[in-house]
Amino acid sequence: MKDDFLVFDHVTKRFGALTAVNDVSLTVNRGEFFSLLGPSGCGKTTLLRMLGGFERPDSGRIYLEGKDITDLPPNRRRVHTVFQNYALFPTMTIWDNIAFSLKLAHMDGKEIEEKVEEILEMIQMSDQAWKYPSQLSGGQKQRVAIARALVDRPQVLLLDEPLAALDLKLRQHMLLELDTIHDQVGITFLYVTHDQGEAMSLSDRIAVINRGKIEQLDGPAKIYEAPASRFVASFIGDTNFISGEIVSVEGDYCFIKTDGFAQIKAFNDKNLATGQRVGLSVRPEKIRVTLSPPPPEKGAAINVFPSTVKDIVYQGVYTKYWLDANGVRISALKPHSRFLLDQEAITWNDKVFVWWHPDDGYMVEEDDV
Amino acid sequence: MVGVRNKLREVGLTMPSFLWLSFFFVVPTVIVLSIAFHAASPDGGIAPGFTLATWRSISNPNYPAIVWRTIWISALTTFFCVILSLPCAYAIARMTTKWRAAVAGLIMLPFWTSFIVRVFAWRTLLNPEGFLQGLLSSIGIIDQSVSLNYNSGAILVVSVYSFLPFAIMPIYAAAEKFDFSLLEAARDLGARSFFAFRKIFLPGVRRGVISAVLMVFIPAIGSYVIPDLVGGTDSELIGNKIYQRTFPDRNLPHASALAGLTAVAVLLPLGCVAWWMKRQDEREAKRLAEATSRRISGGAA
Amino acid sequence: MKKSAFCIVILALVLVFLYLPIFVLVGNSFNAAKFGGEWAGFTFDWYAALFSPRNREIWMSFKRSLLVAAIATVVSCVLGTTAAMALNKWKGRLQTVHFGLIYTPLVVPEILMGISLLMMFASLKIPCGLLTIIIAHITFCISYVTMTVLARLQDFDDRITEAAYDLGAGGLYTFFHVTLPILMPGIVAGGLLAFTLSIDDFVITFFVTGPGADTLPLKIYSMIKHSRQMPVINSLSTIMLVLTCLLVGVSRIVANHRPHRHLKTTK
Repeated sequence: MKDDFLVFDHVTKRFGALTAVNDVSLTVNRGEFFSLLGPSGCGKTTLLRMLGGFERPDSGRIYLEGKDITDLPPNRRRVHTVFQNYALFPTMTIWDNIAFSLKLAHMDGKEIEEKVEEILEMIQMSDQAWKYPSQLSGGQKQRVAIARALVDRPQVLLLDEPLAALDLKLRQHMLLELDTIHDQVGITFLYVTHDQGEAMSLSDRIAVINRGKIEQLDGPAKIYEAPASRFVASFIGDTNFISGEIVSVEGDYCFIKTDGFAQIKAFNDKNLATGQRVGLSVRPEKIRVTLSPPPPEKGAAINVFPSTVKDIVYQGVYTKYWLDANGVRISALKPHSRFLLDQEAITWNDKVFVWWHPDDGYMVEEDDV
Repeated sequence: MVGVRNKLREVGLTMPSFLWLSFFFVVPTVIVLSIAFHAASPDGGIAPGFTLATWRSISNPNYPAIVWRTIWISALTTFFCVILSLPCAYAIARMTTKWRAAVAGLIMLPFWTSFIVRVFAWRTLLNPEGFLQGLLSSIGIIDQSVSLNYNSGAILVVSVYSFLPFAIMPIYAAAEKFDFSLLEAARDLGARSFFAFRKIFLPGVRRGVISAVLMVFIPAIGSYVIPDLVGGTDSELIGNKIYQRTFPDRNLPHASALAGLTAVAVLLPLGCVAWWMKRQDEREAKRLAEATSRRISGGAA
Repeated sequence: MKKSAFCIVILALVLVFLYLPIFVLVGNSFNAAKFGGEWAGFTFDWYAALFSPRNREIWMSFKRSLLVAAIATVVSCVLGTTAAMALNKWKGRLQTVHFGLIYTPLVVPEILMGISLLMMFASLKIPCGLLTIIIAHITFCISYVTMTVLARLQDFDDRITEAAYDLGAGGLYTFFHVTLPILMPGIVAGGLLAFTLSIDDFVITFFVTGPGADTLPLKIYSMIKHSRQMPVINSLSTIMLVLTCLLVGVSRIVANHRPHRHLKTTK
């Protein structure tokens, strides 16, 4: 374990009665873009601050390249943070902000100049070097904060919700830029966010955190397609979550009995046995809504339920339908495309069919309630 | 270990000011209060031994009259300062940013000239041969024989003059943060402008008014220069008496007892204001809590 | 709108009220009449008299005032800044008491502080003079500096010092290169306030002064009380007023002018 790049080993941190981080162990690889994703107050920022040296864990150790850094003060770790509100030094120019860590390292003037110029070039702000932070826009401040933290090549770069203060357009632009910067410098990025979109598009791996514990640690696709718990399923994207019990198993598939539906067929990848209580997550975009029943040749293999359209919300990229299937509320998405408009338009109170492939439902084990 | 170092740093940063003020503010205050329980020695010093004689002698009818006059003039000064400040603060807060800074600067500028000199200038102004006397008697407001100087009225005018900037500033600071669209909303809903001013603006700048009251009332109570330069013999305030007992009479216990009395005159209203504000805050917090819980339970139902 | 007009009229009247004595003062400094009652012709005599050797005492006391104010400002700036930092950073019982100590002098009338310091100096047999004046001035200036710096600190983002540590700076380096420059406007504002209060203080100084230690306000007071030199005071005040206006104007211009550095300072 000590050979790993960055290791949290059974780390716990309490603030009074609140356990912010509860016995978390995780390993981050060198050069990885790693995200800590969770709702506000879940402990992700505390984890980050412990790595930065601003908080000390109550128990557990943190190792960086085999060295125990748990008790080192922030200024003696080669781990730099990009703060949420950037925390640029307001009395210094952009140039002096970026040169801060280099001057502390007693680097000679020529070398400092080269390094600062180089990184200014990278963030495309060479012509703004003599401005003060108050003269910059949000996106520019963000880039300076990243440059300041990267200029002396830290072992790890910590980013604490760095895009939260930017507007949507700028956020999308900075996402691409962050990705490019990460590819260019090859430094390990540890990224804290509550925005699943950011985490999904940037990360090599994501740790989904809830109430101080890691719920799931996987790649973005795995987290979306195969959520490990009900929390992960509902926190990452939208989902229809249906609780029920396995009544029979048939090859790779099983049948689930739920309150509203007679039987739902689902892919049984975990080889769960009859009698197990499960939650079934079906993403809205995997559900089809049609006025006429699906072609009979598919009929036997898939899940089909008659339902009533309750609400229709046009959202540009797609339209969202709220349906009532035997008392169960189902949401479904339908993209706008000529190919899918070959039938009559669906409207309020229409009797429709919702159907999805058994492989598109994903089961999560649930304890008896 | 970290805790000890943290504590050391706290003590290190706290002690310079802490010790200085303990030694040069708290200790002198205690000394003054203790001297008030001693008798004066004939040579102008303090006689040993505990006595209540000083306190008995300041309860003679002469002193209560002075204390009463001091409080009365201070209260009037405060009242006029606040009454004049409210429309001023309102007017400044409604100006554009550029004008605001200019007018606020104009109000504070007299504050940068010597206080003594300004009071002295008023003495010239109120002089029997002075400008104001001539002006007021020529338009027939006062009789030529009435003296403007050396009475309680002169003290009041000069006090209002001296403390007015200290009343305008906090009210203006509060008015600057006030959301003036509230007034428009009130007008829109049919409130008359004075009603809107009283019911919306006044509560909105409440905190500014309170600090204005304190900023004026406290120095007014301890005022010495103004009654000394423009007051008359029958309009002495407590400040003059403290000075008189300290220097010409050299009766330190007496002066100390008067100082104690002044402190009470200041701390009593101060305590009342603090208590009232705390109660208001608590009420507000309670109201908020109730409203929130009602909403939560309403939402759950 | 009618409301606004009414308020503006009141504001204008208040401004006239505030400037009335100052106009009288400036006018009388050029008035040949000795008691300033009525206009007796234009003269520069009082300005000449101000600089005549007869009035050397005025300038001596002015110098003393400057000295006292300078020392009181520097010391109270140091004590006030440390106090504000302690109050901002820690919230324990010590700081509650500390805050009480800082706050109370602000709500106690000057005359009480004057008399209590006098009594203490008297009972400790410390002779009153320049030293006691300086001590008194530092005592009342600390609270004002602390409050001004504290206001600035409350806007201060702790993440900025964290960022400095994070980038490898130690405590002292962070304080002198990051915290202090950010606090500087607050400290300067507090210092300016302290300087003004000190140079203009009459009551407290009046109580703790000793022979030969008169500051300018005391000198002016004794001239008002005992001598017939009032017009000289007017001319002195006019000069001080003009100087103050210039100073305020210059500082405004300096504050509005952003430093535009095109040269690299770091080598």
